[in-house]
Amino acid sequence: MASLTLKRAAGAWLAALVLGLAASAQAQSPAANPPEADFAKQQQAQQQSQPLNNQPVWKEVRSGQAQTSTVRGRETNVLIQSQGQTWRAARVTVSTALGGLIAALVLVLFGYYFWRGSIELHGAPTGRVIERFSPAKRIAHWSMGLTFVALGVTGLILTFGKSLLLPIIGYTLFSWLATLAKNVHNFTGPVFSVALLIFIFMYAKDNLPKAYDLQWMAKFGGMLDRSGNTHVPSGKFNAGEKGLFWSLVVVVSLVLVVTGYILNFPNFDQTRETMQLANIVHLVAALLGIAMACLHIYMGTVGMKGALDAMRYGYVDETWAKEHHGLWYDDVMSGKVPRGTEPAAPTLPQGRPA
Amino acid sequence: MARMKFLCDAERCIECNGCVTACKQEHDIPWGVNRRRVVTINDGVPGERSISVACMHCSDAPCMAVCPVDCFYKTEEGVVLHDKDLCIGCGYCFYACPFGAPQFPQAGAFGVRGKMDKCTFCAGGPEANNTADEYKKYGRNRLAEGKLPACAEMCATKALLGGDGDVLADIYRERVTKRGKGADVWGWGTAYGPPGQQPAAPAGGAKS
Ligand code: HEM
Ligand code: SF4
Ligand code: SF4
Repeated sequence: MASLTLKRAAGAWLAALVLGLAASAQAQSPAANPPEADFAKQQQAQQQSQPLNNQPVWKEVRSGQAQTSTVRGRETNVLIQSQGQTWRAARVTVSTALGGLIAALVLVLFGYYFWRGSIELHGAPTGRVIERFSPAKRIAHWSMGLTFVALGVTGLILTFGKSLLLPIIGYTLFSWLATLAKNVHNFTGPVFSVALLIFIFMYAKDNLPKAYDLQWMAKFGGMLDRSGNTHVPSGKFNAGEKGLFWSLVVVVSLVLVVTGYILNFPNFDQTRETMQLANIVHLVAALLGIAMACLHIYMGTVGMKGALDAMRYGYVDETWAKEHHGLWYDDVMSGKVPRGTEPAAPTLPQGRPA
Repeated sequence: MARMKFLCDAERCIECNGCVTACKQEHDIPWGVNRRRVVTINDGVPGERSISVACMHCSDAPCMAVCPVDCFYKTEEGVVLHDKDLCIGCGYCFYACPFGAPQFPQAGAFGVRGKMDKCTFCAGGPEANNTADEYKKYGRNRLAEGKLPACAEMCATKALLGGDGDVLADIYRERVTKRGKGADVWGWGTAYGPPGQQPAAPAGGAKS
């Protein structure tokens, strides 16, 4: 009696198992999915009619399609990923072309400096100063600028170090330098992205384009007039600075941040294709951005007398404001724009043409 | 001098993953890294084929071309090796490699990559042959012991062949003639270049 119940139970269990297996086989079998079932039928027919021709399988080898693999990991089920070859070739073209552009630009800037010299003031400094950037604005600018330069220098080491530095300093030292560059780059990136957003938020209003900016552009800011007598209208920022703000700071830098994050955090199972694309875009944006930054840094330091004071001390002499940012100067004088806080002590170093 | 190559005969591979296991065992490979893997095309459909894949030791190796610290080198036998002491873990070789060979052990939070690891054709690394240091970084150096790669030696159906490309081609040609099918040599076009420029390409084998 007892054994009969046992037998029945076992039988029921077996039946359930068989049914269950059949059901799961059904679920797994391609027949559950019409296109796959069609493909399976075609393959069956092909195996009979052309047993020696397995073309459908071989077609998939280079397709880059996901296949089946028991080895777990990112894209382990892809046999050949051909886009890597495109990426490899694109890197060479992009880095040679744009690296050459940066080198040429640096030469041009040297040439320009010898031709034009530093842009001097015409009038004598008054000794009265206007606040140009509040401490908060200067901190935002310096944070963004310094992290940008750190990212640019370390990035350039990764891109061009192999051709330019490695032959000189050797494998061991260069590997050490590249490790440092990589780590500095990867940790500075996120800091830069925060500084960038704060900067954009603080400076966007003064950089909105105005009709008079067209006149500045038509004469290229008078930069090609060696006598320095060309007059161009300019608000708090001139058209050149505004252009730089929207191109370098907003577009190029945001592109760098987005692609940089994709490369920086490979733990989200991004595919190789995504990373290859992100890398090329990052490289193009970085090299273009570095070229633009060279122009900007030139003008802000040796290119124009007094420009650096605004970033160092926050104040500029009235004469400088009048000559370089006339419309802003007028607004300050008429009280339309606040003059800013008076400096506690004489801010601009004495005896220097501000 | 022999030019070392891998050849996987898809007519013979039964997807047993013996090669994958042999490799792991031979070199004490850490978790999360597989130097070799088996991929099945059209799994469960008539005509399915399996292929065992690892670093193919390419002729014009893309990994070598893109590495920013130039840490790859090629042995006289055409084996592509790298120096883990120089590697900075940037991942560029992984982007460039068509076969997905370079692997990275996780070295920190957010997926920070450690030193790259890949198949060495059982030929170790730059350290002196079969030293403890070499074993720890790259695994056993079987070529220096006069043996062929462990994966191919272990393969029960002799689908996976590793060794002198000329010899492999001869073996394969004979197989194809005998069975009258399955001439497709997987991956050779990608790894070793177009047929004309490829030493020891099997006659009549379609390249993929
Ligand atoms: C949020 C900001 C950024 C992040 C997260 C970021 C991240 C990265 C990552 C992960 C790489 C790949 C190399 C590696 O692993 O070290 C890279 C490469 C590079 N980055 Fe950035 N980056 C950022 C901003 C910048 C900026 C502002 C510049 C230029 C001024 C720059 C220039 C470069 C260059 C030149 C490379 C080398 C590209 C190559 O050779 O393929 N990056 N960056
Ligand atoms: S298969 Fe990949 S890792 Fe191996 S040599 Fe070719 S590109 Fe380099
Ligand atoms: S991960 Fe290492 S081996 Fe690969 S390209 Fe970068 S430095 Fe070279």
